[in-house]
Amino acid sequence: MRWASENLHEAYAERIRTDLDGQAMETPWFAKRPVKDIRPGDHSWLAYSGPEERDSVIGPFVREGLDTNEKVVYVTDAPAELLPGLGARHRVDVEALGRTGQLRIISRRDACLDRRGGFAPGKMLETIGREVDAAFGQGFRAARFTTDYSRLISAPGRSDLAEMLGCEDGVGNAVSPSTMAMAICQIDRRACPPDELAALRDTHEVLVEVNPEFDDGILKISRTFEPNGLRVEGELDAARHQVFAEQLAQVCLARRRVHLDFTDLGFIDLGGLNLLAQQATVLPADEALVLDHLPPDVENVIEMVGWHRLPGLERGRERAFTETEGIA
Amino acid sequence: MSVEDGAPKRRPLEHRAFVYGGMDHFLAVTEPFLRSGLEAGEAVVAVARRANLSALHDLFGDGAGIEWVDAAGFYRHPVRTLRDYQALVNDFAPRPVCALAEPVWTGWDERQTLEWIRYESLINEVFKESGARALCPYDSETLPPRIVDEARRTHPMVVTDGPPLASDAYVAPAAFGANCDRHRRFTRPDDAEYFAVDDADLHALRSFVAERALLHGLAQRPAQNLVTAVNEVAANAVQHGLPPVGMWIWRDGPELLCEIGDNGLWRPAPDALTGFIPPRSALQRGFGLWTVRLLVDLVELRAGWDGTFVRLHIR
Repeated sequence: MRWASENLHEAYAERIRTDLDGQAMETPWFAKRPVKDIRPGDHSWLAYSGPEERDSVIGPFVREGLDTNEKVVYVTDAPAELLPGLGARHRVDVEALGRTGQLRIISRRDACLDRRGGFAPGKMLETIGREVDAAFGQGFRAARFTTDYSRLISAPGRSDLAEMLGCEDGVGNAVSPSTMAMAICQIDRRACPPDELAALRDTHEVLVEVNPEFDDGILKISRTFEPNGLRVEGELDAARHQVFAEQLAQVCLARRRVHLDFTDLGFIDLGGLNLLAQQATVLPADEALVLDHLPPDVENVIEMVGWHRLPGLERGRERAFTETEGIA
Repeated sequence: MSVEDGAPKRRPLEHRAFVYGGMDHFLAVTEPFLRSGLEAGEAVVAVARRANLSALHDLFGDGAGIEWVDAAGFYRHPVRTLRDYQALVNDFAPRPVCALAEPVWTGWDERQTLEWIRYESLINEVFKESGARALCPYDSETLPPRIVDEARRTHPMVVTDGPPLASDAYVAPAAFGANCDRHRRFTRPDDAEYFAVDDADLHALRSFVAERALLHGLAQRPAQNLVTAVNEVAANAVQHGLPPVGMWIWRDGPELLCEIGDNGLWRPAPDALTGFIPPRSALQRGFGLWTVRLLVDLVELRAGWDGTFVRLHIR
């Protein structure tokens, strides 16, 4: 029997073996962590599906740093007020934070481009080293570093993959042994072909993901973005119906098809199935709640009562292995 | 077919026992029965024991438009069989179903036999408005006399040699079920383990039941089914019953038994049909208890002056 209470702890430091091309290559090992658990020494990877997912990870990463006397270094050409965690609704005084040195927004030209506008990996490493050293001197307890590689890799005359990989290795070497530095390397999933994306991912030890919406050690609920929906892990029972119903109603507000990822759902009670069917009744006609990656035990109960007794629920994707973890 | 109220009126269920002796007799009645279904354009299904099934199949051959089903695979768990027959009726709707339905009476212990007799009675309730026709053969040469006697109590009409006759022994399903339940014993062995359910969080209860189920030697699937069933009954007791809520668990030969009890009175009290009638959807009342009946081998309810008790059997 698969008791998800045991699985839940793994979810924080889940180690996923990946064999993308099936070659006898050096097999990378990843830890998967929600952004709230990113800590010094983590050189982490975020391949996002769109701005909503990116902001849901980078926003908390930036804000938590600013809230806890840590330095935040953001390499970007975007204006501060458009950056995740720094927009107007967060009431962050970007200028004041800039004066104290707690928030450093560095243009790409200053951080990592050479005089002709080409990517200069060595310069990026120098920038990171300089900022981390300065953070120590300025009395910050840690330094958070993030940048988005999407444009570097997709722009015309882009740097080649080998150069990017070398740079990432360098960042990894700088961050991993550090007791102060942590980094999230962002990339738009669509910015480069899957094999290149996988190669870049493999230079990271940590896959960062969005913070769960709810987690009591028995049930964990997290947003998913592509597909749009929720990932439900652990055990869903009467004691947790209300919180689940709220999260489900919330995600159903956006007028997009909702998928529920049940890969690590160890148990759902009959009331939980009832709740899904109830939510499905308030969806627009012809819409359905899609149940992806049903574990055999959960599917067994659904088939026992018959799918037709759960109107508005639809069987989604089959269970699969996690080769595409962190890139799709 | 009436069109006055906009919907076709369905005729009532025709549910007949056919008490036969020998293959010739069997074929002499069942063949015309199936043929009449084909001629009327009904969905014709033949569920019978293998020897009878192949004899009929030899008469009709392939391509007759009859669905042939081996009874051995179809009659395994009475509540699930009711569900499957209902699915069949719904799948063919609006065509009415014409079914030859020969249950399996070997390999069951006394308790299981009683549930199959009850099943025959429940057919009258579950399909009362389905428009279906069912002919249930009973082999008087090999079946114990009691089984054949009960068939006269669970079928409104009985066919032997001549035309069908109304059975004067017939008992309506609710009364029949109540009579089945009258002889139950609700004793519990002294060494039954007790697990108190103190709050709405049933995680610990589930872990406990799962552990005991595996210890008893249940396979993974029935063990998980038991966990889901216990969880449902306990959640119901926590929500609608009165404390103390708890579960006793014990072994009885090959069976593992769980009984969930609370101090509340179940009102209106459950009757002998409670939880047996398949609900149309999960949103309908009674979905939970019906599913619990599907998940385990046997469910017994007792709503007494001293509380509400739901006993689950599984092996």
